[in-house]
Amino acid sequence: MINLKVVSPQKVIFEKEVEMAVLPGAEGDFAAMPNHSPFISSLRPGQMAIMSSNKVDESFFVSGGLVMLKEKVCEVLVDQIEPLSDVNSSNYQQSKTYQELEGNETALGTFEQVVNNPPYK
Amino acid sequence: MPNLKELKNRISSVKSTRKITSAMKMVAASKLRRAQELAESSRVYADSLSFILSSLAGNTKNSSDLPEILTGRENSKISLLIINSSDRGLCGGFNSNLFRNAKKWISDQQGQGKSVKIMTVGKKASSFYKKTDLDIVASFEDLNSNDRQLQVSEEIKNKIMELFDSNEIDEVSILFNKFVSAISQEPTYQSLIPLSNEETSEDESEANKAVFEFEPDKNELLEYLVPRNFLTQIYRSVLESSASEHAARMTSMDNATRNAGDMIDRLTLTYNRTRQAFITKELIEIISGAEAV
Repeated sequence: MINLKVVSPQKVIFEKEVEMAVLPGAEGDFAAMPNHSPFISSLRPGQMAIMSSNKVDESFFVSGGLVMLKEKVCEVLVDQIEPLSDVNSSNYQQSKTYQELEGNETALGTFEQVVNNPPYK
Repeated sequence: MPNLKELKNRISSVKSTRKITSAMKMVAASKLRRAQELAESSRVYADSLSFILSSLAGNTKNSSDLPEILTGRENSKISLLIINSSDRGLCGGFNSNLFRNAKKWISDQQGQGKSVKIMTVGKKASSFYKKTDLDIVASFEDLNSNDRQLQVSEEIKNKIMELFDSNEIDEVSILFNKFVSAISQEPTYQSLIPLSNEETSEDESEANKAVFEFEPDKNELLEYLVPRNFLTQIYRSVLESSASEHAARMTSMDNATRNAGDMIDRLTLTYNRTRQAFITKELIEIISGAEAV
């Protein structure tokens, strides 16, 4: 298990033990698992998926950020994050994340895509 | 002899002032708790970010490889000071302490041959510095909610990046009241450009130990990281300053409430004495009138 800690500038959003987390790294998606080599990467807008035994348990949209991996800790510093369980294709435009990304076309496009057709299901 | 009616009015007006100050004290106390929580919860992000930044910078042997915005320009001529004041008054020496400190800092900088520009946060600073002949590059007001605080921090960050890129400023420092405890706040400077190492020095040795892989490469990461770091540092100073403001207001309103209480006691004593004197005088008049008959 790896300790996944998701932090925004304002607060710690959640912290829990997970088997695997898939993150949208700047140069491609990668999976965070225990004993990954020490690694720092920035994130592009995309889906963050928490997985166990090859199934997605929880899924989020992140607008960007940073991730630091070392040993059994995975720290994700996000700009904006939205649990995909709260949004669907009809209401995602009302979400706070959507409003805050106003003007950022690429991120909004990705948001729409992730909501309608997430890469990890 | 003081007028009884006047005294009575005086007492009731001081009483209502005391009600106001004690209510303000209570409000400040509850806001302080909230502000402290916010400051606390934002610390995790700031700590992680500065850890990442120092492990990045520490991994680069040659400091000339680092961008100017991190290390500062060699011949710096113009410094920018961001002053974090409050929007409202009635918080004791909170703002005046800050301005006095800033004045010293500004004349120090000018003594070193640098020119100084000012950015103000909060109504008090903007109205204070309007009257001086200093160059104010921007003013931000009404930081009344947490979302607004974050938004203002973002705007400040954008502004300083823009000014730095167009060579209008070479150095940036923030001045804010650091929250030491509920009864003590301390005007503190923090240097943004060049980045001060004080904050990160503790982490640095540890950060240097772990060898991280970086993706994308360091320069691209720094490009993302540097503005983020500004944002968190500014945001932190804004939160810290707001906690200090509420703490300062709480103590000064506590004092005001106590003073009002003392004043009421004194006035009540005078009132009673005066009333007694009137009664005595009246009795004497009646008695001496009766004797005369």
